[in-house]
Amino acid sequence: MIRSANPLAQEPRYELITRVLRSNIRSGTIPEGFVLLEGPIAAVMQTSRVPVQSALRQLLDENLIHRFDGRGYLVGSGAQPVVPLRRDIRDLPLDIPAEVDEALQTRGTWRHVYDQVEEEVASCQIFGEFRIVETELADYLGVSRTVVRDVLARLQERGLIRKSASSHWIAGPLTARTVSEKFQLRSIVEPAALRLAAPHIRYADVETVLDRIGKDPAISSEYLGDALLELCIAQAPNTTLVEMIRSNGLLLSAVDRALIGLGLPRDETTIEQYHTLFDLIARHPIDSAAEYLRDHLSIVARRYLARMKIVAVISETGSFSPYLSPV
Amino acid sequence: MDNVSPATLTAPPVVLRRRLRVRGTSITLLDPVRMRAAADLGFDVDFELLEFPICQSRAAMDPEGYDVYEQCFHNLDIVWFWGALQPIDISRIRDWGNISALAKEGGVSKYAWRGHGDAPVKKLYVQPGGFLGPKPTRQISMLPTVHNMDSFGFDARVFGTGPDVRPSWSWLLDRRAKGRIALVDEPAIGLFDAALAAEASGELEFADIGNMTIEEINALMALLEDRRAQGYFCGAWRDGEAAANLIRNGSVAVQSMWSPVYGKLGAGFGHFVESAPIEGYRAWHGGASLSRHLRGAGLDMAYEYLNWWLSGFAGAVMARQGYYISNPEPIKAHLTPEEWAYWYDGAAARHDLAGPDGDTVVKAGARRAGGPYHERSRRIAIWNTVMDEYNYATRAWDRFIGRVREGVAA
Repeated sequence: MIRSANPLAQEPRYELITRVLRSNIRSGTIPEGFVLLEGPIAAVMQTSRVPVQSALRQLLDENLIHRFDGRGYLVGSGAQPVVPLRRDIRDLPLDIPAEVDEALQTRGTWRHVYDQVEEEVASCQIFGEFRIVETELADYLGVSRTVVRDVLARLQERGLIRKSASSHWIAGPLTARTVSEKFQLRSIVEPAALRLAAPHIRYADVETVLDRIGKDPAISSEYLGDALLELCIAQAPNTTLVEMIRSNGLLLSAVDRALIGLGLPRDETTIEQYHTLFDLIARHPIDSAAEYLRDHLSIVARRYLARMKIVAVISETGSFSPYLSPV
Repeated sequence: MDNVSPATLTAPPVVLRRRLRVRGTSITLLDPVRMRAAADLGFDVDFELLEFPICQSRAAMDPEGYDVYEQCFHNLDIVWFWGALQPIDISRIRDWGNISALAKEGGVSKYAWRGHGDAPVKKLYVQPGGFLGPKPTRQISMLPTVHNMDSFGFDARVFGTGPDVRPSWSWLLDRRAKGRIALVDEPAIGLFDAALAAEASGELEFADIGNMTIEEINALMALLEDRRAQGYFCGAWRDGEAAANLIRNGSVAVQSMWSPVYGKLGAGFGHFVESAPIEGYRAWHGGASLSRHLRGAGLDMAYEYLNWWLSGFAGAVMARQGYYISNPEPIKAHLTPEEWAYWYDGAAARHDLAGPDGDTVVKAGARRAGGPYHERSRRIAIWNTVMDEYNYATRAWDRFIGRVREGVAA
C-alpha cells in the first residue's frame, strides 16, 4: 500500500468537510456573505453532495452560516444584513490540510491514472531533467492533489522520480550511465534469478514460446523479453529479487516503448538470441542458459546505448504533457 | 489514327536519364564534382546539400530520400544505428587496397598516436550483430574518402606571429579575445573545440576527453556558460560562409575553423591565420555510404559513383579546399606539381593557387600551417566523436548555443 496510516481516515467524511469549512470561515478565507453551494464544495472535496449537506447543517447549528432567500447558505451569523457574494469556491485559496485532503479520498483512485503518468514520466527523461508540478498534474488528470501524491509516491518507489534539495519532484535525465548501471545490475541479478527459478519454470510454456518464434515472423523482441521475464526469471521463489528485477527494468522498457513511439526503428536483431536462450532454458542445464543470458544482456546493453545516442536528433519541442516542466 | 503527323512518328523515343541522388554537406557536395561525375559516369547526379545536424537527422529518418549519403564517420553512430544504411561490400571497391592506414587502421603508422575519441576505423567494419568496429570484415559502413585535421583560426594582430608564438586551443577561452570568440555549432565538433580549450587552459581535466562523463559535460558547460555570461562569445556558426563573415566583418579574433574558409576570405585578411595547435588537431574523416533501399541497377550505379570518387578527380577538388583523400596516388594526375607540393607536402606555394571554383585561395609564397600531410596526420589530439552521453551533451550544447545566439541578438 502506498498510503501512510492516517488517523483522520477513520473520521466520517462530513466531519472532515466541516473541519475544513469551519477553519476557512474563521480565518476569513471564506468571507462573510459568501454563498456556499453544495455542488462546488463537493467538487473541491472530491466527494458526493451527501456529506456536504451534513457538513453545512453542522455549520448552521454552530451559527457560522445562515439561510437566505437564495439557493445555498450565506457565511456569517445573519445578525447583520450582508450582500450575497456569489463566487466559485474553487477560486478561493482554501487551506486544506494535507492529512484531511488525503483522508477525504477514496483509496485506489491513483491506479486509474498511474500507467499513463508512468509512461510519460519515463519517456520524458530521454530529453533531460524535468520538474513535475503537482498542481499541473492534478489539473491535467482531473484528480485531487491527494491522488497526485499517491501517483508520485508510487513513481518514487519505482525509482522513476526523486525529490530535489528544494523538495521538488524531479524526473531524469536518462543518461548513458544510468542505462549502463541498470544493465550491469541486470547482468548480476537476472542470471542468478534464472538459476533459482529453474525448478519452478513451467517448461511447456517455454516450449510454446519456442514454437512461436519458429512460426510467427511478426514476433518482436519486446514480446520475447517479456516472456523471458514472466515465464522464466519471475518464477524465482524470491519476491524481493523479482520485484527488484521488475523495478530495474521498468525505466528501460518504458523508454524503449517511447523511442519506438518517436520513430526509432525496433530492435529486432536479438530475436535469434532469444531463440537460443529459450532453447537452452527448456532443454539444457540451467547454468548454460544463465551464462548465455549474461552475454545476451551485454549485447542488448550495447545496442540500447547505441539507440540512446540516436535520440539526440529528435527535438523535444511539444512532446511533453503540461505538468512536466524542463529544468 | 490516320492523321498522326510525320513529326510524331519520327520523334526520338524519350529515355529518362538515370539519376543518382546524393545527400551530404558542403564538405563534398561541390558543383565541379557533380558535373564531372555526371560526365564520366553517364548518369545524372543530384546533390542535396544540408547543414550537419539536419543532414544527419534526415539521413537517419528518411533513407528513401537519397541513394548515397556523404558525411563523416562520427555520425554513423546516428545513421547506421537507425538502420538507414546498408553495408558496402569491399570486393566491389576497386581501390580498396590503396585506402590509407589512417582510415583502415586508425593511424598513419603503427607508432603514430591514434588520438582520443572515435578514429574512423572504430566505425568502419560491420561486425557480427550489426555493430561497427575495427576488426576487418568484408563489409564496411562507409567508404573512407575525404578527411582533415582541423584547428582554430586566429587574428595575428591579437595573438602575435613568428616562431615564438605557439598557438594553443586555450586561445578559444583567452581573455585577449574576450567578446570576439566564435565556435562551430555542431555538438560532435564544436564541443570538442571547447573541451580542448578548457583542458589546454588548465580550467578542466577530462579522464577521457573522447568519452566524457555527465559530471565532465556539466563542468564544461558550466565553464562555457560562465564565459558566455562574461561576454566572451560573439557567435556560433554552422557553415563556412557564416564563419567567413564573422572574420570579414571583424567580429572574431579567434574561432573554430574549417579549412576552405581561409580560401574564401579574399584579399585583406592575411592577419587571420590558421593555427597548428601545440596540443594537436581535432580530426575528422568523411566518406560515402549506401542507403538501405538500394537494390539492383540503383545499387550498381551507387558503386560506380563510389569507385569514381576514388579515381582522382574528386580528391583533387577536395585538395584545393584543404582536404585530404584516403587514396592520394590517383589525384596526382589531376593536380599540378605546385598544388600537390603546397597541399600535401607543406611546401611554399610557387604561385597563386586556385580553389575548387577557380578563385585564388592561396597566395604565392604561402605555406600550409602544420606542414606536410605526414606531419599533420601524426598530430591528432582527438577525432570528432559521438560520445556515449551524446544525447545529454547535445541538449546541453544546444541550450548553450541558444543563449549565445540570444546574447548576440540582444
